[in-house]
Amino acid sequence: MFSYVFMKILETRPRSYDRRMDKASRGRVRAIKQAVAAEVSAGMHVLEIGCGTGELAGLLCSRGATVEGFDPSLSMVAMARKRIAAEGVAGRLTVSQMGVEGMDRLPERTYEAVVSTLVFSELTEDERRFALKHALRALRPGGLLVVADECVPRSPGRRFLHALGRAPMVAATYVLSGATTRPIRDLPGELAKAGYEVDKEVRSHGDAFVLLVAHRPAEEVTA
Amino acid sequence: MSFLKTIWGVLFRLFPCPTPTGLRKVGDPKRDSPVLVTCNFHVTVNRLRRALEKAHVDAWVVVADSKGVNVWCAAGADEFNTRSVVSAIKTSGVEDLVDHRKIILPPLGAPAIRIDEVRGQTGWSPCWGPVRMGDIPRYLAHGTRRDEEMRRVTYDWRERLDTALGSLFVFYFLGAVGFLLFGRPLLLHYLAVGAATFVLFMLACPWIPGKRGLTKVIFLESLLGCVLIATENSGIAGWSVLRTDLIIAMVMLLLYGSEMGGLTSTLPSDLDPFLARLGIGAVGNVALAGTVRNELLNGYRELTYNRNACNGCRWCYEVCPQGVWEMDQAKRAVLAHRESCTACRACLVQCMTQAIEAPRADNKQRSERPITALS
Repeated sequence: MFSYVFMKILETRPRSYDRRMDKASRGRVRAIKQAVAAEVSAGMHVLEIGCGTGELAGLLCSRGATVEGFDPSLSMVAMARKRIAAEGVAGRLTVSQMGVEGMDRLPERTYEAVVSTLVFSELTEDERRFALKHALRALRPGGLLVVADECVPRSPGRRFLHALGRAPMVAATYVLSGATTRPIRDLPGELAKAGYEVDKEVRSHGDAFVLLVAHRPAEEVTA
Repeated sequence: MSFLKTIWGVLFRLFPCPTPTGLRKVGDPKRDSPVLVTCNFHVTVNRLRRALEKAHVDAWVVVADSKGVNVWCAAGADEFNTRSVVSAIKTSGVEDLVDHRKIILPPLGAPAIRIDEVRGQTGWSPCWGPVRMGDIPRYLAHGTRRDEEMRRVTYDWRERLDTALGSLFVFYFLGAVGFLLFGRPLLLHYLAVGAATFVLFMLACPWIPGKRGLTKVIFLESLLGCVLIATENSGIAGWSVLRTDLIIAMVMLLLYGSEMGGLTSTLPSDLDPFLARLGIGAVGNVALAGTVRNELLNGYRELTYNRNACNGCRWCYEVCPQGVWEMDQAKRAVLAHRESCTACRACLVQCMTQAIEAPRADNKQRSERPITALS
């Protein structure tokens, strides 16, 4: 059964987060990030929502993009900064400590792509709406939004099995970290409602994970 | 369903009981209606709604993420903090529904909510509401002015019983399961003595000698121990039942009393600093070792106050639930009742000029300061 709720435990240990996450997910998280990075072209100016330790940002830089990332966790941002120094990408990658609530301060029509992995399922519905609204504002017309996250399977049977398999992991994670994630019921719908045009929807992991590629329409659409 | 959730929330308060975050309407709020912030603990949100409805107050309530924990505990664990409040204000859409920008924060959140940062990041004018939600109608009727009663935690018998029910019931329940499985003949004794012990203990708490929960328990344990020895030596056969009840009561007292300070809001915690001293870094997501609170309680840090750095903002006086701070005639804070401090850190967090600090006891900087400057 698929769920990345255990990442909330690993987030309490930023130094070993990437290694443990990769091990615990049997390489799937890295594969997800590579799939997100593959949607971004060289030379793009990219914003990453919830950059964590900067693993995805590093992949994007290696593809020739310029990345600005933010994350609310000070320890995660510190790890990302260490990565910047280690990988020598200081000119192409900047990170800052900020949560999605600070996205209203982002400059308008600046980025060619906004990316995010395993972040939206940590946000409340209001926060997701807010993040999508301001990501749209920050994107240039035609700019890409690439989101990969946990979602609720569409069929009732799979939904039941997903909830059943996830429950012990949620309980264990909550006891150990006091945190949890919330798989999203209709992320494509939320994107459409926020004014994006969804170009691609790839479901995987028993319909419990979604990779979405959308773009800001050339003509302004308000949510 | 909501009723059952409330029952769960009341009886098992040691576990989170979340309710969705976001904006709630109470009554028929208008564009000039007050805006209040609270945590997303189901019981708190319900009680706030009821308190407002009972007084026919129309209001907007912004429910911020506290991981389903009450304001006081969530702020202590930094789960209900500046970020969660800023996020709730900005993302709830409340700014489109009111013409004013005044927002009322729960003062027991002061250990983790920086009022100046909330102002800076949202553009709203935050202010502290009353400690008890029952005082909110009176607070609003008086133009959002707080009197002394609204600033301080009193912890009266109803609140103590509420704590007894909410925080101790889980232990009582687990004990009952234990007796049911392994000591059925004593189950009824346990149910009666256990319930009587924790209700009487919480009701009589202020009058039991001792400044901390643990000292109160040691006093009671000594008292009951003497009675136990007396009955043991009395030779009266019928007293064996009484002795069993006494032992049950003593065990329950030890269990309840070992962290009574952490369960109440007027006594310092005993268990957390003890665990920190043992080197236990964290329990779940609650940090223990190395936290300012536990280091203050363990004497590794000391609360210091530099009157010359005080700008007279009054925040320490406003947010201290114990009334540790007073204001003098020159409108500067005075650390008047240090002995009442429970190390909640609210004054430390709110002080914008670093007049209030908690340096480590072995910090050279502190020892070089003139003692006269430290209240």
